[in-house]
Amino acid sequence: MVSRAQMYVVIPAYNEGPVISRVVSEVKRAGYAVVVVDDGSSDATAEEARAAGAGVITHPFNLGQGAALQTGIDYAVVQGAEVIVTFDADGQHRVSDIARLAEALVQERADFALGSRFLGQAPNLPPLRRLLLHAATAFTRLTTGLQVTDTHNGLRAMTRRGAAAIRLRQNRMAHASEWLSQIAASGLRYVERPVTIEYTAYSLAKGQSLGDAVLILLDLFARRLYR
Amino acid sequence: MIAQLILSILLAGILIYAWSEYARSPAVAVLALFVATAGLYFVWVPEHSTALAELVGIGRGVDLILYVWVCLSLIVVLNLHLKLRTQMELITALARKIALADAQAPDRGREYPGSRSGMSGG
Repeated sequence: MVSRAQMYVVIPAYNEGPVISRVVSEVKRAGYAVVVVDDGSSDATAEEARAAGAGVITHPFNLGQGAALQTGIDYAVVQGAEVIVTFDADGQHRVSDIARLAEALVQERADFALGSRFLGQAPNLPPLRRLLLHAATAFTRLTTGLQVTDTHNGLRAMTRRGAAAIRLRQNRMAHASEWLSQIAASGLRYVERPVTIEYTAYSLAKGQSLGDAVLILLDLFARRLYR
Repeated sequence: MIAQLILSILLAGILIYAWSEYARSPAVAVLALFVATAGLYFVWVPEHSTALAELVGIGRGVDLILYVWVCLSLIVVLNLHLKLRTQMELITALARKIALADAQAPDRGREYPGSRSGMSGG
């Protein structure tokens, strides 16, 4: 069993000043090493995260969530992390779900454990967003062949070996399906576990709009055309 | 006659540009050279553009030139798009390197085994 101090929780954050400190404290209290990748925030995200005890990596300018995750993963690997967890900064994930995913890695001998709100719970999920997420899932299943139930979930755990197979090139939000296509390409074992996503007024306001979803789709199609 | 003169000057400009660009990017230079030469030819002998257009099944020479121009600009746009994306990837790699060089390590709990300091870059 991997000790929690060898588990790095990577939290990409862009202008999450009001909430980052609480999220970092909660994860730290559970015993994990926390790395916040401040993606060129203009507010005090980096200072707040640092004060709460997180390691902080600051992008010189905003590059996007995919780029922030990759930076955090690179850092964790160099620091000798055995398990790397990605976690959203807006407080919508439950810290107790981290252990669930980590256990799944060990029990199932998997290299990726993906959180799914549709196996678990997502109270207060607005109907339009539910529809959008289901559409995104259907699209990703079709294009990657992975039978997952929730493609846009920010809570994932991976082993060191799994992390080595991930190289996100989609800097912006389109990285969600890039994860899955790279997991599929790696041939490594993945499992899904139910997690709870709590939609707060804050996370809903920060979440992606329908317009973003259209942009993501365009982006993905463009990627498939040119690569 | 005036239009022909203006077009000729512009196309001659492209010829000079293609000439100066040859060392840096031969493919682009040859393409520009070819397009400008063909343009000059058709500006002064427009009947031939019409003949060529009819040969490939387009009514007028002007239309043929318009279609070719649309295709060429699409190729240019695609080329620029790919170039921009490559540049973005380079910028991302550079920014990541800088960010990792200045990384602040997390506070360690008591049970943390050993400590590795310093970054070897990624």
